[in-house]
Amino acid sequence: MSLVSIFSKGIWKENPVLRLMLGLCPVLAVTTSVENGLGMGLASTFVLIMSNLIVSLLRNFIPKKVRIPAYIVVIASFVTVVDLVMHGFFYELHKSLGLFIPLIVVNCIILGRAEAFASRNSVVHSLADGLGMGLGFTLSLMVLGGLREVLGSGTLLGWPIMGPSFPPFLVMILPPGAFLGLGFLLAGMNKLEERRAIRAGEAYEPPQEMDCGNCVLCKMDPE
Amino acid sequence: MKEAMNLSLRLALICAVAALALSQVASFTAEPIAAAEYAAKMEAVIAVLPAHDNDPGVDAVDLDARTYYPAMKDGAVEGWAFRGVTELGYSGEIEVMIGVDAAGAIEGMRILRHAETPGLGSNYADPAMLADFFGGKSYGATDWRMSKDGGDIDAVTGATVTGRALADAVQSALKQFAEDLPRLKVGKVDA
Repeated sequence: MSLVSIFSKGIWKENPVLRLMLGLCPVLAVTTSVENGLGMGLASTFVLIMSNLIVSLLRNFIPKKVRIPAYIVVIASFVTVVDLVMHGFFYELHKSLGLFIPLIVVNCIILGRAEAFASRNSVVHSLADGLGMGLGFTLSLMVLGGLREVLGSGTLLGWPIMGPSFPPFLVMILPPGAFLGLGFLLAGMNKLEERRAIRAGEAYEPPQEMDCGNCVLCKMDPE
Repeated sequence: MKEAMNLSLRLALICAVAALALSQVASFTAEPIAAAEYAAKMEAVIAVLPAHDNDPGVDAVDLDARTYYPAMKDGAVEGWAFRGVTELGYSGEIEVMIGVDAAGAIEGMRILRHAETPGLGSNYADPAMLADFFGGKSYGATDWRMSKDGGDIDAVTGATVTGRALADAVQSALKQFAEDLPRLKVGKVDA
């Protein structure tokens, strides 16, 4: 696979949120505004790139039997770095993302890419993969955050855009709005994919087997 | 046995390097974090105090576990700012910064920390709204119940619980302040 396609697959074809359905906890929890989505996305992207880099560098040093603890140590360290730096230099953003920054540790996109990609590919390819996946994650969060912010508060990036007569749909910035918004985005994504497949003359297969047992971590061969 | 040793050593090495790196980052960020926390707190203090020419952070008085920030003009105390906390919020604790003038009436108020429902309880975070509901109120001369319960405090429609919680935070903080006031002495008066 070329570098460009490794990078770009994370944005559309294998978008972590809208295609792989990974890391949905922060996706649902912090996307009450574009700004929060962007902040969370960039923080996760940084951790993803750095953990891909280190895991790829150490891929011949980390023994297979203790690879998961080793990856978690690497990931948790970078998350702590993000948490501390954000606390010191982006105080307001840190306050609004709160608890979800430490929880990047358990975002399964990051462990998933370490295991499925970085541990078996070169450093350059792993960086491209981390950047692409991170941007795909960030874009998904911003789109969902934008949808929820516009409908739920009538603003975009804090600016009122819907006019004074628009009654905000409060539900969109409450937790149920996250599920509604994500559901519509997924449906839209599938529709687009179906159209593309028909236009290209391919047989369209709707996404299936999205249950837990089929996620990228469980599909890994243990040895 | 040999394999177990190998595994443990390698994992320990990774952890040691991570710990070393993190300790560096932690010591590098300790100062900016403390500065950011302090700046955020002082911003609220200054916003709620009446006009002053001192630095309320420098002149702050610690009494038991509570901190009072004085506003002074030409050496005379014009008001105080202090924290109020309540556990009666719709979702957990609410922390506020309250400023009073020399007569004990509320000059300004800011919410420091809350987890209220976005769009309902969170509307109280708007300083203009807080000023509307609590501005000018003082401890003795106010009935601290909601106006729909017959008291003096108005509430945002649909967020009465948050309003009650805020009234509780303000009332108990003002009460404590009234008890502490005779013991409050500003240490350095540069007149």
